[in-house]
Amino acid sequence: MRELRFAKDLYEGTQVDAAVKVFERFGKLSTAEEADAWIVTVDAPSDARVRRLAGELANYALGLTIRGRQAEESTE
Amino acid sequence: MTESLDAIPDTFVSVDRAEGAVSFVVDESVYPLDAIYGATFTFLDRCFVFLGRGEPGQVVITLSAKKPPVEDDELRGWIGELANELLACAWRGRILEQNRATIEAVTMQAIGGAMGPPSLDELEDFDFSEEPFDDPLGIAMSWEEKYGKKEKKGESADDSGEENA
Amino acid sequence: MNLPIFHDVSLEALDARQPAFFRFRQLPMAPDKVVLSNLEGRWLVLDKADFQTFARGEVEEGSELFTKLRQRNFLRAYYDVPAAAEMIRARREFVGAGPNLHIMVITLRCNTTCVYCHASRANMDQVQTDMTKEIAEQSVDFILQSTNPAVTIEFQGGEPLVRFDLLQHVVEYAHEKNEVAQKELDFTLVTNLSLMDEKKLDWLIENRVQICTSIDGPQDVHDKQRKLPKASAHGEAIKWMKRIDERYREMGLDETLYHVEALVTTTRPILDRWKELVDLYVDLGCRALFLRPLDPFGWAEKTARLIEYPRAEYIEYYRNAVDYMIELNKQGVEILERYAAIFLTKILSGVDPNFLDIRQPSGAGIGQLAYSYDGTIFTCDEGRMLHESGDDTFAIGHVGTSKYRDVVGHETVRAVVVAGQLEGQADCVNCPYVPYCGIPPVHSHRIQGSLLGRMRESSLCQVHKGIQDYLFEKLATGDEETLQILEKWTTIRPRDHFVHVPAGAE
Repeated sequence: MRELRFAKDLYEGTQVDAAVKVFERFGKLSTAEEADAWIVTVDAPSDARVRRLAGELANYALGLTIRGRQAEESTE
Repeated sequence: MTESLDAIPDTFVSVDRAEGAVSFVVDESVYPLDAIYGATFTFLDRCFVFLGRGEPGQVVITLSAKKPPVEDDELRGWIGELANELLACAWRGRILEQNRATIEAVTMQAIGGAMGPPSLDELEDFDFSEEPFDDPLGIAMSWEEKYGKKEKKGESADDSGEENA
Repeated sequence: MNLPIFHDVSLEALDARQPAFFRFRQLPMAPDKVVLSNLEGRWLVLDKADFQTFARGEVEEGSELFTKLRQRNFLRAYYDVPAAAEMIRARREFVGAGPNLHIMVITLRCNTTCVYCHASRANMDQVQTDMTKEIAEQSVDFILQSTNPAVTIEFQGGEPLVRFDLLQHVVEYAHEKNEVAQKELDFTLVTNLSLMDEKKLDWLIENRVQICTSIDGPQDVHDKQRKLPKASAHGEAIKWMKRIDERYREMGLDETLYHVEALVTTTRPILDRWKELVDLYVDLGCRALFLRPLDPFGWAEKTARLIEYPRAEYIEYYRNAVDYMIELNKQGVEILERYAAIFLTKILSGVDPNFLDIRQPSGAGIGQLAYSYDGTIFTCDEGRMLHESGDDTFAIGHVGTSKYRDVVGHETVRAVVVAGQLEGQADCVNCPYVPYCGIPPVHSHRIQGSLLGRMRESSLCQVHKGIQDYLFEKLATGDEETLQILEKWTTIRPRDHFVHVPAGAE
């Protein structure tokens, strides 16, 4: 099991949610919220799979956050 | 477990060889968030990229191998490339702000020139129903709309037709 | 040092000694010389003492240095804004012209195996990599929608002669459709020449298709890296180059202008053999030699340990070869180096010869488009090459389903246009060569993972800087004869014989 902390001032919450939706079919994902971060707990049958799932989810969330930010800036 | 890498200052950089990961602590006053995003984006195809918070005003960037283990040389390469890309993105951000007008003008001319005017088919597909702007002075109204006879109260077009017949 | 041109001077009297905006660079091989350029691309090469006087704003009015600086628009008090604006406009005249170069990859099949194959060629039995007639016609229909009044269709592969029948059909179909489109058309065939015969040549000559090939060096170099089964690739190429040039002479075409163009792909084995390479091209009757370095596309990465080299070694090879070419010119031999000609035209004439890979913004998407055998449209041929390696970043549409304006207005095209403007680039912003230079974003994407790239680490920037350093050294220190030769290399002579003017427009 692995816990990912997505700092709210670094990652968009909606994009973290979107990433979770995309990857939830590959393992067991649960979400929580703290004052300054979105928490995603990743579980899967093997350590290797947990690692990979956590990594791909994090990349996806970061990519979506960056794209979302670019889209906002281009409409300003 | 954090370790250090040869020839890389350990003030900012730590290594977890078991995970195949390097972390780089970045001062946001030196590298704005846009530069951090820009630089880390270029690693998404090669690494798992995590951003976290360190001390106030610091972002911790962790690059983790998609398939560990990785050699120290590769980890050093990632850190070096990340540092260079951070600098390039930070500086480029400033330059683009200063030269934005020129770059926008040239881009518009280039794309506009390549695209050319829309064809009749494309105009046909265009949605003209949406009002493009407010018209407080009624400039876009036809003369008839603006000054034509107002209908008397209760009178309809059908009624007036019958009267005239 | 960059003094901002829009610095607020309302609170102080303009001082004739104050420099206007400039960029500078100390020449690495002539460190007592400093190149300056300004926003519009006027330039000077000063010795260090004069440069320091200028930079400190201590130029004496009426001095020789003052006169030189004023004439070239380097003095703030006399800065001619309309003249500068006009020069900038002239340098960018191509910007809104629309795509004129259209590369049609009519097959990936090739009968030759080149060690660096940038095109990721296919074997001769892989007929599924041929363009269909339908896609070829759709490609032509698409091409003729270009906003540019002049369009070049360039046949590439693989080896286009594998599908000569399709090439013929494209040319005929293009003429037929052009009766409505009314473009100036020309056609270019890029071929290894090994499948040429007299019948094909008759047709190509009758239909005024330009022919271009590759000669990588003497036979041992060329044949080792370009393997043609049961024959010498070098021998076949040279045989047909000579035959084609003979046919042009028989037609009465000026042989100084009309001959087969050949290009070099510089690999490690040729770096020490620059003299043999230049002599070979001269013996073949070529008037131009394009000393291209290796590109990072296709197979070149896999075979790097055999053929790659540090770019500092390339620059040394380049300097040696061009020095030799200048000496040959002094002996009456007409041979120019293409890179030098491109840069010198920008430096000396203030106009852009519109070489799509060395301009800003680069030609990708707005000056050229590439059409793969399956109808996919790419911003450029290099973008298509990346697709063959699994990277679809530069795919922007399909000839069967995409509208022209959607393709050239694609967000990828916009990103490439922004990325190709060096005024937005770290490092370039301080480089005096920026008015003359250009780096295709596809190259930066390939080697650095970002369209924008990092020029300090760019092998292509290193090549361009090295070439321009060399040229400015020559301009600063060359004798009169050398300067005349370099000036002559900027002469652009159009090859009108190959231009098909639409009926009614003549």
